[in-house]
Amino acid sequence: MSRKAFLPGCALPSYSPENVAQCVKYLKSKFPDLSVVQKCCGKPTSAVGQAELFAERFGGLVEDIKYCGADEVIVACQSCMKVLKGCQDYKTTSLWELFPQIGLPPELVGKAKGSKAVFSVQDSCSVRDYTGIHDGIRWILTELGYQYEEPERTRATTRCCGFGGMVVPANPDVAMRVMKRRVDDFKTPYIVTYCAACRQSMIKAGGKAWHILDLVWGPVVDTNTAPPEDVLASPVKAWKNRYRSKSLIKKAL
Amino acid sequence: MLYQQSVMDKIREIAQDCQGAHSSFCNARCPMHTDATRYIEQVGEGKIKDAMITIREKLFLPGTLGRICAHPCETACRRNTEYEQPISIAAIKRYVADKADDETLWDVSKKASSGKKVAVIGAGPAGAQAAIDLAREGHAVTIFEKLNVVGGMMRVGIPEYRLPRNIIDFEYTYLTRLGIVIKFGVEIGNEIRFEDVVKGFDAVVLANGAHKGFIPPIMGLENRGIANAVDFLRAVSLGDSDTIAQGRVLVIGGGDVAMDCARTSLRVGAKQVAVASLEGEEELPASDHELKGAVEEGVVFSHGWGLDEILSENGRVKGVVLKHCIRVFDSEGNFSPEYGDKKYTIECDTLIFATGQHVADATNGALEQRGGGRYVADQQTLATSVDKVFAAGDCVGGTIVVEAMALGRKAAISVNRFLAGQDLSVDRDFASEYAFETELDIPLPKDVTDLPRKHMKMLPPEERVKSFVECDLGYDEATAQEECARCLKCECKACMKECIMFNDFTAYPGALFTQFLKDGDIEPIVAYSCNMCDQCTLVCPKEFKFAELFGAIRKDMVKANHGQSPMPGHKAINMHQKLGFSKLFTVRIKGGGK
Repeated sequence: MSRKAFLPGCALPSYSPENVAQCVKYLKSKFPDLSVVQKCCGKPTSAVGQAELFAERFGGLVEDIKYCGADEVIVACQSCMKVLKGCQDYKTTSLWELFPQIGLPPELVGKAKGSKAVFSVQDSCSVRDYTGIHDGIRWILTELGYQYEEPERTRATTRCCGFGGMVVPANPDVAMRVMKRRVDDFKTPYIVTYCAACRQSMIKAGGKAWHILDLVWGPVVDTNTAPPEDVLASPVKAWKNRYRSKSLIKKAL
Repeated sequence: MLYQQSVMDKIREIAQDCQGAHSSFCNARCPMHTDATRYIEQVGEGKIKDAMITIREKLFLPGTLGRICAHPCETACRRNTEYEQPISIAAIKRYVADKADDETLWDVSKKASSGKKVAVIGAGPAGAQAAIDLAREGHAVTIFEKLNVVGGMMRVGIPEYRLPRNIIDFEYTYLTRLGIVIKFGVEIGNEIRFEDVVKGFDAVVLANGAHKGFIPPIMGLENRGIANAVDFLRAVSLGDSDTIAQGRVLVIGGGDVAMDCARTSLRVGAKQVAVASLEGEEELPASDHELKGAVEEGVVFSHGWGLDEILSENGRVKGVVLKHCIRVFDSEGNFSPEYGDKKYTIECDTLIFATGQHVADATNGALEQRGGGRYVADQQTLATSVDKVFAAGDCVGGTIVVEAMALGRKAAISVNRFLAGQDLSVDRDFASEYAFETELDIPLPKDVTDLPRKHMKMLPPEERVKSFVECDLGYDEATAQEECARCLKCECKACMKECIMFNDFTAYPGALFTQFLKDGDIEPIVAYSCNMCDQCTLVCPKEFKFAELFGAIRKDMVKANHGQSPMPGHKAINMHQKLGFSKLFTVRIKGGGK
């Protein structure tokens, strides 16, 4: 069996250390020699155009993976997926593809059968060509017992949430219009994303959005449930979370 | 600033190959380049006044062309090439003109007086268009018209049941409002010598049309009861009630003029009307609409027959012998009819030849003429061998009204340059002055289905033949809207419908990157507004990878800016990334023991 390393990314630890810790615990139960690396993949540096700095930073992450002796990397972030895919030294698997293979914890299966909330899926545009990821997300929803529907633009034709390309700090006005357009695409009030940045974008534009891991590890969401607060909007909270995530990972292993 | 070669190559490729600037099929094929897709969209949105303004940007004869334009745009229409159900572009134009044309919408602005005088010979569509364009350039324009009415062939060739005369008169008031002087009843070579016109004006536009009916040589033409189409239609149009079309009328010809003669004959008292054409039913040059009108009104057709002999009695035609035509054109496409052995005789009291129109020389031999009497002129500038003299319309080329107008406009461009002492050709986009083939190559929009063309209501045939009242009744609002809804809005703006930020900075990417090439640079905000979502690439027929390009541009910008993003907002990212890689917030834990 391959030696696996789990990379939760940056936005997810900043958003929800609990979700990260739960994933680590569950993956550890399935893969006892699991390694974990919490570090940025450098995508923002790359997107801004700092090519040399990116090469240096990404090189550091590859070193960490090598240090862990992993030959398969499990990522929970779609930017990580794209950045790491370029590296030939190990296999990269999305957590969302992995769940259908290893199953959800049995106690969670069907937990949301009674929920009347119908979710619209926001696929991340960076992985519009990764059918396996799209399928995995729908599998998880179905397995949990949630109902969902597809917006007109979905999977390979999904629309950007507005966050991509480091546009938010450069041209916040454009970013906000892209965010609003995407929220307007959805026919149901409940949105599920599998990217913490997508979730934040949907919230900023007035949508009610959950991260898929909120649905997996968190309480059952029904039509009267409010979405989790936008913690990423507060840098202090976000960095506190990221720090806490680090501690929780250590504890879980 | 300097960009990598690979970036510049990509930018050049997009600037050149982006289809954003390519005209729609209808627009390219219209010699006047009427923006049909735009006005159809406006009608569809109920903005009929806006549609009227759009049409009038190019056409001073919207009601006329809405009725009688041979609409090459409809032939080019994607719904024709795909499904043989083109958008009824002309009929929509007529609907707009009938409903919304209003003198207050007319643009009668013109430049300050140039002090130059231009003579235009002929008040047909070519002469009128040239006169309009030249008057608006500030020149003093005088039109000499042989007849006592405006419109040329539109007036005395096209029958009134297709084009009511009040429409022509109304639309021509635009000329008088521009201060154009029209001298009626003045035939050049008769009332005034051509040389004197040339002497008396700074420039001359010759647009005297092709008003000489042509009859192929055959024995027996001296008999009574025989006429050419031009003379016949002119006489009827000018109110000559004592027309030649008596008893049984036979029209020779297969084009729209033959249909006009046949249907006009019915209206002036002919008992029976037949048409004999060289072409078989399938190859008939007449438009489907005119052919259908003729058939409905009871005109009988003999397709594939040529004239062999004229039969006469007591100096009057009494019939013809027709011979079977087995081929009209040779393998090279030249008119060269070939006949078989079969013959048959038709009795008739009147014989009308709709077999072509030639140009009657108005220059007293000053200009050389070629086939059909057409003046020899430079095909691009319409300059003739006589200094100051330019030719436009039927007398030099073109076969339909809208082509005559385009030639009138072309001649006006030349005259304007000539009067300004400029070269006639330098920096001139000749292709845009006439119909051209668009380079637009886009997939059909998804979910498009073949929807039937909406036809106008028409008077019943038995009512039509009683008078010259207009046959086509035009669209009502609902039908016009339905017809507009079929328009595929052919253009390549697919990425612009996907990308919000592109719309903030440009009309289409080709324009953005053409500007880049001109300036050698681009505002950083453009490159840094791309979400890199690839939605543009998904819909681009050329699959241009804009995200990749903007990414490469960003790299060059960072390099030129000492390793930093030029966007002030990105300062925060520096700190954010530093923290994201710092020991404080990162961890690596190797599993499985040491």
